[in-house]
Amino acid sequence: MKADTNQQLKATRTGIFILLSVLLLVVVALNLTLGSVRIPLRDILKVLFGQEGVKDSWIFIIQDYRLPKIVTAILAGMALSASGLQMQTMFRNPLADPFILGINSGASLGVAIAIMGAGLAGGLFIPALNIAGDLGLIAAASLGAGVVMGLILLVGRRVNNPTTLLILGLMFGHATSALVSLLIYFSAPEKVKAYSIWSYGAFNGVTWDQLQVLLPVILLALGILAFLPKGLNALLLGEDYAKTMGLNVSRLRMLVLIGASILSGAITAFCGPIGFIGVAVPHIARNLLKTSNHKLLIPAVILIGAIVAVAADLIAQMPGSQFVLPINVVTSLFGAPFVLWIVLKRKRRATSFSV
Amino acid sequence: MKSPLLTTQNLEIGYINGKPARVVISSALDLNLYPGEFVCLVGPNGAGKSTLLRTLTGLLPLLNGEVLVGGKKLKEFSRKELASAISVVLTTPIEVGAMTVNELVAMGRFPFTGLFDRMLENDWDVVKKSLEMVGLMGFEERMVHKLSDGERQKVMIARALAQESRILVLDEPTAYLDLPGRVSVMNLLHELSRQHGKTVLTSTHDLDLAMRSADRFWLMSSDGKIISGAPEDLILSGDFEQVFARDRISFDIMNGQFAVAGSNEGAVCLKGEGKVRVWTERALQRVGFSVRKDSEQCLGLRVAIVPGDSGFVWTVEENHLSLEFEDLESLVSHFRTTSPVR
Repeated sequence: MKADTNQQLKATRTGIFILLSVLLLVVVALNLTLGSVRIPLRDILKVLFGQEGVKDSWIFIIQDYRLPKIVTAILAGMALSASGLQMQTMFRNPLADPFILGINSGASLGVAIAIMGAGLAGGLFIPALNIAGDLGLIAAASLGAGVVMGLILLVGRRVNNPTTLLILGLMFGHATSALVSLLIYFSAPEKVKAYSIWSYGAFNGVTWDQLQVLLPVILLALGILAFLPKGLNALLLGEDYAKTMGLNVSRLRMLVLIGASILSGAITAFCGPIGFIGVAVPHIARNLLKTSNHKLLIPAVILIGAIVAVAADLIAQMPGSQFVLPINVVTSLFGAPFVLWIVLKRKRRATSFSV
Repeated sequence: MKSPLLTTQNLEIGYINGKPARVVISSALDLNLYPGEFVCLVGPNGAGKSTLLRTLTGLLPLLNGEVLVGGKKLKEFSRKELASAISVVLTTPIEVGAMTVNELVAMGRFPFTGLFDRMLENDWDVVKKSLEMVGLMGFEERMVHKLSDGERQKVMIARALAQESRILVLDEPTAYLDLPGRVSVMNLLHELSRQHGKTVLTSTHDLDLAMRSADRFWLMSSDGKIISGAPEDLILSGDFEQVFARDRISFDIMNGQFAVAGSNEGAVCLKGEGKVRVWTERALQRVGFSVRKDSEQCLGLRVAIVPGDSGFVWTVEENHLSLEFEDLESLVSHFRTTSPVR
């Protein structure tokens, strides 16, 4: 009987993972086919499989616009969700995520300094020009994210109230935005423009060359995460319990800090600040799988994150119209009510990680 | 006598970071914990019980002196060694939701599983045995957040047992529990030391329960001093009352309970036997009387328990008047509303 329920649960979870994989394929396929230019499915397949006889402009749209955009969206969704999950566990706070805690703002500050500050120093630094520039941008954003996250860790680790942490993040966000405004005030107009275009947030500005940098960086940071489920699970019981079970808490915290900063920093560097995916996806995963076990949550979060990001991009294009919304508009429209729901539904913090 | 499992030598405990930089809570502590015994750390709030337990378990750094576990200095233990020497259960309820009992208890295998936390058959055997020891067989697939507080605390104890450590340290494990939960957890700790040879050290405010089950008390007073001894010895020596003494609270050495020194209404002579007598005494004490045995010398107020048609009847003789009461409620309310003769 017991074994049966266990077996059933396992079967259900396997089913969920299969379903999610299929769903990812579906949204990717939809994203490939729907867009402001209508391209027949047959021709899309031809391009994908390298066959001849398709209009050059269509080949360009698919190969150099839609495909890299989808890959970017998948990477962004995976990275933001994974960093959100790590942060929620580390801060023991259901509302923790890179965007809400102002860590994205830290990344933005890093980028602003890279774009505009470099100019102030007299150099001519135009981002995304070459691999060194791309890596520099990622480094600047990750560093900015890491600094803000470290600060919040320092101040907020003793904060037990999710709302207080939220306010902390808000304040850090304001402070970094102020610094960015200061930079803008003293910068040349063309650099300000470069920065503001970046700050709209989009999946579609990333080229294949840039993906060659972004992809390994994200995979590396996700690779770190693969070693953390045991420690993160122990941390679910609180730091004291984790310590008495033999967990090196400060090392785990450092690894999470580095991993989550790179994940959110790198994505922010290339796609701009994207909100709410990081906070929402871990909750979706917990609700679907009915577990807090990171061995299951991490793969689930990565998969769901990819689906959500590709779907958000799909909505942003408003299929059938000529307009493309900034991706942040879409994630915020859906994400903000979701966060409200989390806040209102979970009155008792004790169950905030439960389903 | 067996050699102690845990010893403190001239131990000084407190906090290092803060203002002022060093807060000493207690010093010159020489304590021993012997294998298989059940020790309760008792003392008033704020005496530093948690600080002591956190220091002994390595959660807080010690300020001075040594803690030796099995003859080895605490600071020489690696994280893993310490986790398999001492396991810990804390006061605060855990804030984990979607997790089964099995998953939670399996966390106790943390020190023994590898980097990827793979549980071997032996590990699951230990989990099963631990759940049996706390009496939660059949709870394996239940969700932790759907358990009662008492059950959840027992799961936490099972998790600690799964660490297979010789010493189990608990910081007020009963604080958030209802009365049956408290009794049940204290009883479990007693059993763990008796039947499974665990060395159990727990802090508690449930003095009555502790008195009845602990082998020894570590009696911590507000100034941080600790006296060790059998509960009964400490009570007879008067140390127990001294540590817990408050303005209007006194310890009744005759019945082992704390009582509020209320208004003294004088003495009552009570005639009657058995459990009815015990609870009649309690009722009379509650309204401020001291109760004596009925005898020829008894002057003034006399209460007698008389078997009636259904149950008992209480008769009161005062001022040559005789009154009869059907239950203790009416008896007590009589004494509360009239001013009795002394």
